[in-house]
Amino acid sequence: MDATKRKAVFALFFLSVHALCLTGCWDRTEVNDLAIITAAGLDLTEDQQLELSVKIYLTSSSSTPQMGGFSSPNSGGAGLSVVRSATGLTVADAASKLQQLISRKVFWGQDEVFIFGERLSRQGFVEPIEFLMRHPGPRERSNVFVSKGMAKDVLQLAPPIERSIADSLRKMAKLQTGLNITMKELAQMMGGKAKAAVLPMVEIKPREASQDAFAFINGSAVLKNGKMVGRMNKVATRGLMWLRDEIEYGTVTVSPENAGGNVSFQLRRSHTKLVPHIRGDDWSIEVRVETWDDIVENATDLDLSVPKHIEQLRTALEADIRQRTEMALAQAQKEWNADVFQFADAFYRKYPKEWNRNKDRWDAIFPKVKVRVEARSVISRPGLIGKSPLIPNQR
Amino acid sequence: MGNGKKLMKRLLRSVRQKSANADPQGQDPNPPTELSANLDENVRMIQSIYEDCSDVIFHDFFIGGQTRAVLVYIEGLTHIEEVDRHVLAPLQQHFALEPELPNIRKAIAVSSIKELKSTTDIVEQLSGGNPILFVEGEKQGLSVGLPMWEKRAIEEPSAESVLRGPREGFIESLRSNTALLRRKIKSPNLKIKAMNIGVYSGTKIAVAYIEGIAAPALVEEMMSRLRRIDIDGVLESVYIEELIEDNPTSPFPQLLSTERPDVASAYLLEGHVVVLVDGTPSVLVAPVTFISLLQSPEDYYERYVVGTAIRWLRYLFFGISLLGPSFYVAVITYHQEMIPTPLLLTMAKSREQVPFPALVEALLMESMFEALREAGARLPKQIGTAVSIVGALVIGQAAIAAGIVSAPMVMVVAITGIASFMAPRFTVGIAIRLLRFPMMLLAGFLGFLGLILGIIVILNHLLSLRSFGVPYMSPLAPFKSRDLRDVLARAPRWMLNTRPHLTGKWNPYRQAPGQRPGPAKGDEGG
Repeated sequence: MDATKRKAVFALFFLSVHALCLTGCWDRTEVNDLAIITAAGLDLTEDQQLELSVKIYLTSSSSTPQMGGFSSPNSGGAGLSVVRSATGLTVADAASKLQQLISRKVFWGQDEVFIFGERLSRQGFVEPIEFLMRHPGPRERSNVFVSKGMAKDVLQLAPPIERSIADSLRKMAKLQTGLNITMKELAQMMGGKAKAAVLPMVEIKPREASQDAFAFINGSAVLKNGKMVGRMNKVATRGLMWLRDEIEYGTVTVSPENAGGNVSFQLRRSHTKLVPHIRGDDWSIEVRVETWDDIVENATDLDLSVPKHIEQLRTALEADIRQRTEMALAQAQKEWNADVFQFADAFYRKYPKEWNRNKDRWDAIFPKVKVRVEARSVISRPGLIGKSPLIPNQR
Repeated sequence: MGNGKKLMKRLLRSVRQKSANADPQGQDPNPPTELSANLDENVRMIQSIYEDCSDVIFHDFFIGGQTRAVLVYIEGLTHIEEVDRHVLAPLQQHFALEPELPNIRKAIAVSSIKELKSTTDIVEQLSGGNPILFVEGEKQGLSVGLPMWEKRAIEEPSAESVLRGPREGFIESLRSNTALLRRKIKSPNLKIKAMNIGVYSGTKIAVAYIEGIAAPALVEEMMSRLRRIDIDGVLESVYIEELIEDNPTSPFPQLLSTERPDVASAYLLEGHVVVLVDGTPSVLVAPVTFISLLQSPEDYYERYVVGTAIRWLRYLFFGISLLGPSFYVAVITYHQEMIPTPLLLTMAKSREQVPFPALVEALLMESMFEALREAGARLPKQIGTAVSIVGALVIGQAAIAAGIVSAPMVMVVAITGIASFMAPRFTVGIAIRLLRFPMMLLAGFLGFLGLILGIIVILNHLLSLRSFGVPYMSPLAPFKSRDLRDVLARAPRWMLNTRPHLTGKWNPYRQAPGQRPGPAKGDEGG
């Protein structure tokens, strides 16, 4: 390479490097300029406007003094968040008004929890979901809840165990004791064939003498066409989870006949399969539940080292599972006509042609679908002791 | 366009003229002259060459008490006691033969004696430490092979120490170094070609290779590149390195320099060429690939599982040392949603007091770190520790307390610093450390987009590099699956049957296949 060419290349390189700087970091946002939202709630106000409340994590106002610059270990605890609300015609409108109230840029990227107030849920929240799915900011993997009462009230709570209410709710959902529904799953359910969805319901346990108010998941909200139509209690929700194949952990307690006590099983593994059948106009579905359980407590007079007794317990457990699921089925089919179990998808997968012919009549078909629950359980381990030394007279 | 062409032509012409004016031969200070039969004339000639050189000694004496002779040597380069005992004593005291050159040769009890005719040869021998004997009436000078100078003992190279493996290292003396190589590879196929480079320094260079393993074209290429060098002096092998590498503008080294004879021997056995330079312990190995620069001799001295694991650890930290701070800058300024929430909240908290953008913070800390490293490297050991304590502890801690930098940034810089020291070759480590800064700027301006752009540019550069014709990224590109067993893993020795493809294809098999050991089979004669 001779001198001029080298000079030209160098000049070009020099210019292009400077062109790079011309962009001037236009997208740059320092963390110091962000208002990090950890949870957001939507409510309907008296005058039919949307109220958007956000829980903002406070990075600056640490009440504990800084130790040598490193934030002391316990400063990440509670009480470091603040709730701000704004109302608007749409969520986007409310969000832009919210921005006017906050000195920092509202940052949706870390929002892990969305809570919809019960009133808004009953009115329907198709429009907010539209925003949350379309806007690139909010995560599709954030958890969605419906709150009994105002969502804002839930956000105001400061749980003592976790860093924020968002963490607390998210972890509770994750434990699979109730439903664990993300934004993406909700949108899929709402836009799916069944047009029905379920969301975990958040309830506030009011303040009592010795303990502060706290939020917990209690039952679930059933949605039909984007509107909340009813509420399932805790037990029915468990049945619902069996049917949706979402149960992971749990303790099932049954009282077998003529045994004089209860037996508790710990669920190790469970699998649910939906097998649909269409015979003429007769739509039916077979639910095959398979579980593997351990016995963790035995207060009956049955000696668990006798295989016959294990067999008896197994039958009792299967009957219990059947009963739980049928309770959820009855409510969903008869009370709300909401296909929250995604039977529609099961039918579509097996009988796509029949489904396409009848898809407009699904609301009429679903309550009449005959469901046969077939529970099969395996009791893997009777626990560390066989015949209980503590209970006398075991058979 | 036309103007531009004309301008270019004119420039070209002027460049050519300039290079024609420079006389490449004009620098030789001593034109060769033949010796004469007159002793005084010869001595005068040498004296005039070594005018004002107080370290050159001319010693007059008589051989057998009658024939005049002069012994010339350079003080400090010659083993003077041996000269007294084996040259002067027999010639002065017990010499009874005719004072002719063959007889004198017989009398001197020294194994290496050369007859020299021209002053050039004499000067070369003299500066090599060999005393020269001039005898009255002889047209030749005798060079007596008794050089000796102060040299360091052979010790473990501090920059390339290992836990297991030979602890010897090259020293500043070329002959000791070639001897170290010869002791490892005893075959006469180990060839060591010599040449002198440096008009004034006259530095001895040796090119070592194994005939039958190294490609003859490679040896020829190395020799021709070395012959091309016209320089006043060679004080370190890097002088040679910079004058023979394929791409002199690249930040990446295209020759490996090592102070370990075992490393040099291993490369010789793989068909590489080793260049030894007198006066420096670091020898050059060519050709070299990027992957081999990331390998340490210890990989081969540990058990292969350990070697593989350490190799992967090194690859990982190589990536960290290049991308650590820029990744952090990109994530914290552009892609906050990528950070797990609890971590972001903690980082946001610690960044709250920091007045600078993350990019400035990173540049500040990284240059601080480089300064500390450089200061520590140049200082005597005792003060060096003080600097590192002041730098690492006091400044790091105080900077966080003062709210100038955030704690995560200090951590990132520290991890990156450690990672860059994991590169087994200092030259690679420093190249990566330098490239970190443009990467940080790119990440600061364009986020991940910039980071990826930077990676693409660096990768492109690495892929276009060649070291003595061997692609720098081989065997990854061009892909050679057979050689991957020594890249992705350190395969056990009984699996490494072949030499690397590009340097070893001249003689591909290094050992007999099927040497996997195992317990003796019961039926095979036990």
